[in-house]
Amino acid sequence: MTPAITVSGLVKTFGPARALDGLDLTVNTGEVHGFLGPNGAGKSTTIRILLGLVRATSGTVRLLGGDPWADAVALHRRLAYVPGDVELWPNLTGGEVIDVLGRLRGGIDERRKRELIERFELDPRKKARTYSKGNRQKVALVSALAADVELLILDEPTSGLDPLMEAVFQQVVAEVKAAGRTVLLSSHILAQVETLADRITIVRDGRAVESGTLARLRHLTRTTIAAETASPVTGLDRLPGVHRARAGAGSVSFSVDAEHLDAAVRHLTTFGIRSLVSHPPTLEELMLRHYETEEAAA
Amino acid sequence: MTATSSRPRDGGGPLTGTGAMVRLALRRDRLRLPIWVLVVVALVPRFYYAATSAVVPTPQALADATRLIRASFMRVLAGPFFGAEAVTTQKYFLAAYWVEFLLAAALMNILLVTRHTRAEEQSGRAELVRAAVVGRPAQLTAALVVAAAGNAVLALLAAVAAGAIGFTAGGALLFGASLAAAGMVFAAVAAVTAQLTEHPRGATGLAGAVLFVAWLLRGAGSLQAEQGGPLFWLSPIGWSQQTRVLAGDRWWPLGLSVLLAALLVAAAYALAGRRDLGAALVAARPGTACAPVWLRSPLALALRLRRAAIVSWAAAFLAVGLVLGGMTGAMSVTDLPIFAGADFGRAWLGLMVFTGSLYTGVHAVLSVLRLRAEEVRGLAGPVLAGPTSRRAWFGSSLLASALAVVALLTVYGVALGAGAALSTGDGRLVAEVAWASLRRVPEVLVLLAVPAALLGLAPRAAGAAAWAVLGCSGFVAVLGAYLRLPGPLVNASVLSHLPWHPLEAAAPVATVVLLGLAAALTGLGLYGLRRRDLSTG
Repeated sequence: MTPAITVSGLVKTFGPARALDGLDLTVNTGEVHGFLGPNGAGKSTTIRILLGLVRATSGTVRLLGGDPWADAVALHRRLAYVPGDVELWPNLTGGEVIDVLGRLRGGIDERRKRELIERFELDPRKKARTYSKGNRQKVALVSALAADVELLILDEPTSGLDPLMEAVFQQVVAEVKAAGRTVLLSSHILAQVETLADRITIVRDGRAVESGTLARLRHLTRTTIAAETASPVTGLDRLPGVHRARAGAGSVSFSVDAEHLDAAVRHLTTFGIRSLVSHPPTLEELMLRHYETEEAAA
Repeated sequence: MTATSSRPRDGGGPLTGTGAMVRLALRRDRLRLPIWVLVVVALVPRFYYAATSAVVPTPQALADATRLIRASFMRVLAGPFFGAEAVTTQKYFLAAYWVEFLLAAALMNILLVTRHTRAEEQSGRAELVRAAVVGRPAQLTAALVVAAAGNAVLALLAAVAAGAIGFTAGGALLFGASLAAAGMVFAAVAAVTAQLTEHPRGATGLAGAVLFVAWLLRGAGSLQAEQGGPLFWLSPIGWSQQTRVLAGDRWWPLGLSVLLAALLVAAAYALAGRRDLGAALVAARPGTACAPVWLRSPLALALRLRRAAIVSWAAAFLAVGLVLGGMTGAMSVTDLPIFAGADFGRAWLGLMVFTGSLYTGVHAVLSVLRLRAEEVRGLAGPVLAGPTSRRAWFGSSLLASALAVVALLTVYGVALGAGAALSTGDGRLVAEVAWASLRRVPEVLVLLAVPAALLGLAPRAAGAAAWAVLGCSGFVAVLGAYLRLPGPLVNASVLSHLPWHPLEAAAPVATVVLLGLAAALTGLGLYGLRRRDLSTG
């Protein structure tokens, strides 16, 4: 099956500023793809190009088998979009906006809409000007999730939602995925992507710095270890593959490359382990590591 | 997946979604657009009544009024008087008020088109819309369709109103069509300016500047020849008037309007189809990374936030003042024996000084209503959460607005006086007119204090009420005596109390009373603001 989204060597410049600098991204059909990066990395610009709102300076972009700029209208029948910062027409009610946006997309599933309004606990009869940011976000989410489309493009869709609503969002996206739809989920909330995404792409400074399944990315990285020992640990610094070692009186923490894990733990046992906590790298650590390498290079 | 997967071009015309966008625009403007149209139409019989009952009750008075309106200094503002060989009240109505109706139609269209194009993009709502099944130019098309529909309704209703005040059927239709044509040209102008600037205010301002130039060309053309010289024919407002309603009824000048509108619309589509969503012709330049040292007090912040507005208004006042002042020389020459000895030059300057005061009032109201926007959008919160009291925030913002008023009236007065001095060779006019302009500060301060009081006492109504006070005051002050409105009503207008300098003598009592009123209203506003809840969201 052809991928839902294929982007290669994408460049976008705004005057002298280079927002995207040769970005590559592949989203397979039927997967939830996490699109991660710090603010200003180029996530939203990429998405705006995928939506045909902004034209690429160079590079190739294919979306659902079409060109997002030239075939924008036809492609938009098959996708739904939620921006991170939703603005609504102040003198329309939330319910009206959901319908308007749904109809613009070519119709809305009424039953699904009512169900989502209920699940997200949205009052659709209030004027949009009275909504908080979270409620405006819900309006856009309900309208997009109730659409019968192949692809959902979600750009930091839960900013402003409380944790309960965040959980509802996770459930709904899981259902969408089970129904065989493709989701591009841009976020800097890493926990969200960790639970939902099949694969992730990490962007920085307009370029994809890492892409693959979470398991594969973790394989490349270090495990973090925190331990309490009977006697103070010495000699950790000299072990290969050990980083950021911090030793106190009777406690130690460090991270270690996968291939040197065995040697490091064996070294610890010589000091009498009283407790040992190890956890796989979180996405925060994945991203922090990229910063470190940049800084080291600079 | 579906059969369409391999054929993404199916049903993807660039105008897809236009119908839905038109319905959305009509839903959003279901009050705004009808009110605009109805007010403009209602003014047809209102002004006609004013003309017949107050100004031209007898054939002799009609003949005198006609002579006045044909005088060179009046032709800049009104006229031309077509068909003067057989004067009727309907022709007089056209000579006196047609321009105002054309300006109103143009303004209605500029605001409408900007509201549904650039304002949507800047707010981010266009992003939601364009991500749906909506063609790239669909929003622009919908805005123009709604504008065209609004203009058609305006033309029909205005024709009915004109028929009701005694126009011939053909003349009434042509009158309505002349309004629609001017409206369509400026809808097209706004469609282009909406592609050029990032912010809707810039797009409106640019289109407004085009309208002003059209008005100036019409006026300058009227000075060239009574029925309109070459410059007159460069103005879309002029084309609508050259239809010579009730004096030969010719439709062909409207062809020029249609042609220009079509060209401008084509240009707008060419620009809209090529650019990124939200992008402007001129990309925003990066600003400074640090705040300058002087930006450390609430007053400095208030001035900094208003800087762009003050500078652009001052630039406009400078240009407009020079041009209007430059007309003084032509005004001073009168060919009418009954007005011999009258100082038309100073009368004109007095009227223009007053007009400047009215527009400065518009700036003042905008400047004060900013505070409400800051409050509702949550910008006031961070300031007031710091060690800044409400009194300091409110007071320094109002002080900034008041300083802007003084600065603008000074710039305008000096420019107007300089223009007048250049055109008449009388250098004393610079100081005289600048001082005349500054003497209007008290009334503008009252216009500024009205929204200030409302911000404290009735914040939700502040915008509408402040504009109503300004609009009614201006209307009554300009036309009160003319329409023979009752004295108490005229006196209720903020703008009726200061004499029209430089022709009339100073009025120290009115000055002091107005200043006291401004202070009292400001105090009321502060009183209210310190007691009420701040609004958010």
